[in-house]
Amino acid sequence: MADVPAKSLGEKLQSINRSTLFLILILCTSVPLFFPVKLPNRADAPSMDLYQKLMTLPEGSTVLVQSDWTNSTRGESGGQFNALMRILMRRHIKACIYTAADPQAPEVARNAIAELNKQQDAAHLPEYKEWDDWVHLGFFPSAEGTSVSIGTDVRKAFAGKKATQPNGTQADVFESPVLKNIHAVRDFPLMILITASNTSNVAIERLYGKVPLAMMVTGVMGPETQVYYDSHQLVGLSKGLKGVYDIENMMQDGAKIAGQTFPPFTGPGVINKDLGTRYYPTLHMALLLLIVAVVVGNVGMFLSRKRSTQ
Amino acid sequence: MNDFLTYNFLKVTVGVICTIGLYTVLYRESKFYRFFEHLFLGLAVGFAIVALWTETMKDLWWDKMVGTQPDVQGGLGTPGYWAYVLLIPIGIMGYFVFSKKHNWMSRIPIGIILGLWAGQQPKAWWTRYSPQMQSTLRPIFPTTNTLFHPSTAQFNPSIPADKLAIDRIDHQVYWSQAITNLIFVFTVVAVLCYFLFSFDFKSKIMKFMTTSGRWLLMIGFGAIFGSTVMMRFTLLIDRMYFVWIEWLKHLVLHIPG
Repeated sequence: MADVPAKSLGEKLQSINRSTLFLILILCTSVPLFFPVKLPNRADAPSMDLYQKLMTLPEGSTVLVQSDWTNSTRGESGGQFNALMRILMRRHIKACIYTAADPQAPEVARNAIAELNKQQDAAHLPEYKEWDDWVHLGFFPSAEGTSVSIGTDVRKAFAGKKATQPNGTQADVFESPVLKNIHAVRDFPLMILITASNTSNVAIERLYGKVPLAMMVTGVMGPETQVYYDSHQLVGLSKGLKGVYDIENMMQDGAKIAGQTFPPFTGPGVINKDLGTRYYPTLHMALLLLIVAVVVGNVGMFLSRKRSTQ
Repeated sequence: MNDFLTYNFLKVTVGVICTIGLYTVLYRESKFYRFFEHLFLGLAVGFAIVALWTETMKDLWWDKMVGTQPDVQGGLGTPGYWAYVLLIPIGIMGYFVFSKKHNWMSRIPIGIILGLWAGQQPKAWWTRYSPQMQSTLRPIFPTTNTLFHPSTAQFNPSIPADKLAIDRIDHQVYWSQAITNLIFVFTVVAVLCYFLFSFDFKSKIMKFMTTSGRWLLMIGFGAIFGSTVMMRFTLLIDRMYFVWIEWLKHLVLHIPG
């Protein structure tokens, strides 16, 4: 029986067991969750612009929110949605929410608001009430058709939609305080799209120029959506977990943007830091592991090449 | 003991078991993983069917077609518009795509959808790209000797004189901005040169531009890949948070925070 030559260090480094790597990854993404730390942060310009826009909306106005995320992207979109809703409820701004991407999304958004209201109740703070403060219009198939319809005649686009009144009965959404003063899409001072899908492009194509647009997108969509911000098609943008961390930090510490000072949200029981703050340090551990893995793999490759040329 | 029999505990525990079940594919594909995969698909399809009715079709189609009754609070009912019933045969025609004999019928609704979509595209394209083309035309020469954009924090934009001062500062092209714009414009031109496949480039300048275009594209793809990896990690971290913090720490061990 011929002797099998022992693996060189280079070969060993290049053939680390896949299961071992997964195990290290799970440890790196689990252990830091138990040890929250505050990382230094400087908010990106798109996040600051989004925050400034949200903080300067007139009190009592209604924003249009297209909520196209589901639990599959809760890690990023969930934090974005929570931060947005917290700002709207604290600034007494109403939200007209709808979905154009996934039939699961309306229930996910309603559950997220219910969780926020539980936190409000626990802190003896006022709830963000359905009908008075927000309505969800449900799922509209065909993002293209829906966006064109909203841009053309918002009353016809949402005609027939009902929401639950405080007394438990259903009524037309245009009778609600959220939508009673809305006659055209330009009556919304802002439309915010929280998405993990192509509906961002559809919204730009069909609604740009008709209503000020802002977006909260997943990290993978960041580079393609940044171009819309650079060309001033978006008034603000939050990209991935960094975007959530930026907004949560501005809510917690306050912000000074373009000569305007925005004080932090303070008070007993007020929660500003949520998923972004919890996940951001852990993401750094995962990225560190990735960098180490790339370095180890390359060192292994160079050692193997050196050996084979010798 | 009662804490472990609450609906919330059971719901989250089932979620944890499903999460672990789906992640077992990282070790190897097995019947255990297959079971959870099919469970997930079945739940998603079932939920989508119900949600399509409750969130969409009932309000947008059924109630409009049959009308609504006045409620007990004295609200007004609405009359039904039976023309909406015509949407049923048009919709059903789409399913004839599965019939070899009658699949021509499916082309009618598909044609309507395609026509509507195609009609929107010229305006959609222009709305999407024209501001980007306009934004590409950037100044590459500075208009001041200052290196960076000065801070405007000392001004109050609600005071007209201060607003004027802010506008004056904002409308200058500073050296840092000019350099950034130069890199941007060079990248655009280099990448456009790279995509000019029709010509056989012999000049050294064009060869330099196409090579630069290729390198710059690679850098761009690297940045996009980095964002993708970050997002995937975040989704994994969210699942780990669900298992270790929401379930183990909060629900099982009752540790707050």
